[in-house]
Amino acid sequence: MEFYNKPGDYDAINYIPHTESHGTKELWKTFWLLLGITVLDFVIYFVMPASGWRNFIFIFFGLVKAYYIVGAFMHLKHEKINLALVILVPMVFVLGLISGLLYEGSALEVMKSM
Amino acid sequence: MANHTSTQAAFENQPTWAGGRSPFNVSYGKLMMWIFLLSDAFTFSTLLVQYGTQRFSNVVTPITTKWPDPASIFNHFPFMHGLHLPLLFVSVMTFILILSSVTMVLAVEAGHRKSKAEVARYMVYTIIGGIAFLSCQAWEWYTFIHEGARLDGNTFGITKQGYDHLNSVGFGDHFEWADGDRTFGPVPFAALFFIVTGFHGFHVFSGVVINVVVYIMTVRGVFERRGHYEMIEKAGLYWHFVDLVWVFVFTFFYLI
Repeated sequence: MEFYNKPGDYDAINYIPHTESHGTKELWKTFWLLLGITVLDFVIYFVMPASGWRNFIFIFFGLVKAYYIVGAFMHLKHEKINLALVILVPMVFVLGLISGLLYEGSALEVMKSM
Repeated sequence: MANHTSTQAAFENQPTWAGGRSPFNVSYGKLMMWIFLLSDAFTFSTLLVQYGTQRFSNVVTPITTKWPDPASIFNHFPFMHGLHLPLLFVSVMTFILILSSVTMVLAVEAGHRKSKAEVARYMVYTIIGGIAFLSCQAWEWYTFIHEGARLDGNTFGITKQGYDHLNSVGFGDHFEWADGDRTFGPVPFAALFFIVTGFHGFHVFSGVVINVVVYIMTVRGVFERRGHYEMIEKAGLYWHFVDLVWVFVFTFFYLI
């Protein structure tokens, strides 16, 4: 990933994207990884009794899958880092909000039963 | 061609902030697709925030034990009526979506090589995957509604007796709800399920429509004449986003 544009990188009028194939090896690797994690999800669901830790594992696996989908399939790993940050930084805060409210939900539960 | 070169030269002489050049070195369309996906991600996030709060503030209710364990409800599989097969069908749905994501990204890769026939072939696979997923979801909704789920109520408050009954049944054994197994549970359960999976399903549907349009354009040689297959990339971004959302729907609705 590069930080700066070179002059003439993008010409809005005569734009023809510079494309090159990176081959299908990485894509198939990502596929097997996603499939493996999903199978692991399935196994853990039955092997491990429900607990906060198990939920943590599932959410962690979800984030790993998200990393590979966004990075490899959506090609964000190979875009300029500025673009990747514009997209990822707000999502970090949103994820913080989601996990925060999962936790606060339990606190609401306690308050309701008081 | 001379015109092209002079335009190119004009751009090269522009400073970065004078316009006419993308700050991220991606085309207008791709950048806009990313911005749209970001806003769509916020939309889904609000739904997940709502879900998370409701889910964990409804663990215990006066009459039932807790928020229903999803495995106790989504335990059906087509053509295997009455068998207790929790999580199996959703896992198959997840597999279908992952597979269609791979065929989509293979279409993008074929587009980079400007291989029209391959792009068309992989787009067909992707469309089939999308339709298969939608059919699965339709079946899932049908079964869920048939079992008594409604937007404004929840008959899946599973009692202590119900859980004992469920726990006595092994994976793949015959299972049927008995009297006293179920009562009314936390209302948001079914409503949130319908809203979030419905929202996601509608995105899958739009994705299939987009893919069909792009497929027709491919076959008719629109991209060949244009000289590049970037439209496939843009459709692919949307399709992978739908897959991404499913990862979280699967995690939050079925696993947790």
